Amino acid sequence: MGLGFGVGFVGVLILFHAAYSTIQYKTLLKITEDEFSGAPVNMAIEVSLGLLLCLWAALTVPGMLLSIHPHSEENRIVSLSANPDFMIFNHRGKIFPVEMDVKLRH
Amino acid sequence: MVTKTEETQLNRLENQVDNGGGGAWDYLSLVRKLKVRRSDKVLKHGLSILNDPKQRSSLGHDEWTLYEQVAVAAMDCQSLDVAKDCIKVLRKKFPESKRVGRLEAMLLEAKGSWELAEKAYTSLLEDNPLDQTIHKRRVAMAKAQGNISGAIDWLNKYLEIFMADHDAWRELAEIYVSLQMYKQAAFCYEELILSQPTVPLYHLAYADVLYTLGGLENLQTAKKYYASAIDLTGGTNNRALFGICLCTSAIAQITKGKSKEEKEGSQLHSLAAKVLEKEYKQRAPDKLPQLTTALKSLSLSS
Repeated sequence: MGLGFGVGFVGVLILFHAAYSTIQYKTLLKITEDEFSGAPVNMAIEVSLGLLLCLWAALTVPGMLLSIHPHSEENRIVSLSANPDFMIFNHRGKIFPVEMDVKLRH
Repeated sequence: MVTKTEETQLNRLENQVDNGGGGAWDYLSLVRKLKVRRSDKVLKHGLSILNDPKQRSSLGHDEWTLYEQVAVAAMDCQSLDVAKDCIKVLRKKFPESKRVGRLEAMLLEAKGSWELAEKAYTSLLEDNPLDQTIHKRRVAMAKAQGNISGAIDWLNKYLEIFMADHDAWRELAEIYVSLQMYKQAAFCYEELILSQPTVPLYHLAYADVLYTLGGLENLQTAKKYYASAIDLTGGTNNRALFGICLCTSAIAQITKGKSKEEKEGSQLHSLAAKVLEKEYKQRAPDKLPQLTTALKSLSLSS
């Protein structure tokens, strides 16, 4: 856990450093009035290294992936919902109204 | 969708609430979450909460949700006075609300004044033409009036706009099944399986429809879907197990004489029968002889 966090932190730092150096490089180009054709190679290597480290950390820190068992007790669906959006009131309950002596009091 | 754990929890809470053990609010919340239809119990326990000012104020904002829930439950139980009172309270709190307007229209529906309800829904739709629940209410209203073909028309129009609404697909499938229009129902169940492939009950319903349609090809597909339903439930769905047995014997009857692929089929069939026998032995030993004779008659015909 601690190792994963450390590696992820280093990865993010490397990414930030790469971004910062690219900006520096671009300002330098502005001073020398050169065209920007692409980032230098060491920056590309830095970015890919940072990406790899972040990726590794993101995959290890949250823990192992567990498979979902559709037939386990928590997942096994035994009945569908009653589809209340399509509920109709014109059913046999109409003939046998519930004996309710309680009223809503305000 | 109600899973096994949720079902046991619901039953436990229901028992507890019915015997005066408290937890009524938890029960009502669970009923709302699982969308099950327990209108009489919701009405009884919801009213007892609403009539107790102390309990009611402890709910905070959920109080209004409860009013809505109780109002719908009261309409379902034909206690229209209670429903009316609930809606009045809600109207007082939310004078501009469309949701309360929908409840008022539903009350008209419950009273049976279809034209007034239709008018109310039309005016609500004018304000918001994409309100899904109101479109659905119109379908339900056509169904309640016995105008099934009208309901199908409305539903098809609705599904052209909101294709991802699986509840509506399910409703349409059930309507088609009730009219014995199995081909159309099969199409709807295909949509349902596509949108929710892990729900075994759709596989089961699709297989049922295909089995009813008959024909060698349909029977073979039905068998596959029964098998997938067994797979998804871990073999605990007896209907799917019976379905396998029935499909196998029906296929065997059709392909009598040309016994080519029968070997594999008979194995699946006997496995399903074995599981069924075990299940019956465990839960209903007195019904076991009936099961064995039924299974025997199926395998005799093959």
